[in-house]
Amino acid sequence: MSTKIKETVQALLIEGKIKGFLGLREANGNIMPHLFCDPKELDSLSLGDWKKSGDTRYPLNQMMIQLAIAYPNETFAILVRGCDERGLRELFKWKQLAEDKVILIGIGCPDELARACECEKPFPDSLLEGPQGTRVENEKVASIDKMGLEERFTFWEAEFNRCIKCLGCRNICPMCFCNECTLEEANLIDTGAVPPANPTFHLVRAIHMVGRCIDCGLCEEACPADIPLRTLYKKVGEIISKEFGYKTGFSVDEKSPFNIIEVK
Amino acid sequence: MTFLKKLLEFSGLHPDRVRTRWVSSAEAVEFVHEVSEFVEDIKKLGPNPLKAKAKEAA
Repeated sequence: MSTKIKETVQALLIEGKIKGFLGLREANGNIMPHLFCDPKELDSLSLGDWKKSGDTRYPLNQMMIQLAIAYPNETFAILVRGCDERGLRELFKWKQLAEDKVILIGIGCPDELARACECEKPFPDSLLEGPQGTRVENEKVASIDKMGLEERFTFWEAEFNRCIKCLGCRNICPMCFCNECTLEEANLIDTGAVPPANPTFHLVRAIHMVGRCIDCGLCEEACPADIPLRTLYKKVGEIISKEFGYKTGFSVDEKSPFNIIEVK
Repeated sequence: MTFLKKLLEFSGLHPDRVRTRWVSSAEAVEFVHEVSEFVEDIKKLGPNPLKAKAKEAA
């Protein structure tokens, strides 16, 4: 399954077009992120737990930002799914990564994973291997839309109040690159208590996901309290798409409607 | 605002609980009108479910 990816990366490494390839490696029965700099290492390349949405996914884009900070003049290749590609596009627009320094190695997700994620587009445009799946409907969001106001309030209150404020959702988020975070600002959100000030805490994070969240779902996987964060952020994406006609991460040059500052 | 209203609605709060209006400092009458109208509308909606929660906790 990974032959084409291996060949492509090997060629890039040998030709010296890239300093390294950020992907996943299987070692001692574990799958972990790895920066492949030597073509010989590629035998241990893994595509992760790509059959199901498991716990062998890592915020590779986040690591890419750290790499780019450490080696600003080098070019790297990176393993991307559909969501990762959308994320990179937004990161380019947010000036967190330079587009000409990143080469995308795309894999498509199988139907099973696409369904589990209710993914809008389960394959990247830079698809090299794997299936070119189809869009899956957003049923979790629809099920909450069907509820009445009071029912929704009770639902979210119960979900949010399980929060232990570990900030795992923010820390794993490849789109959370700010140096200072509103969530830790006592003047804006009451701090020092668990659960945090709800729904403020979670709604503030949801608002900050506008034009950023590309629906990779790492937040929900990281959440020890199983709060359906992904459903909340999916709704954020839906509002932005329906009301403002902006689909996060789908275009290379169109900016989020909340970030357009025209200088004439 | 459009976004905030939709998000509040999704999380179970009435979207009419939040409102923005631009009123110049020279338009006192307009300002009074807007605020009074907002207060009336809020009263019609009844107490905020969040407030009931805060009281329970106290």
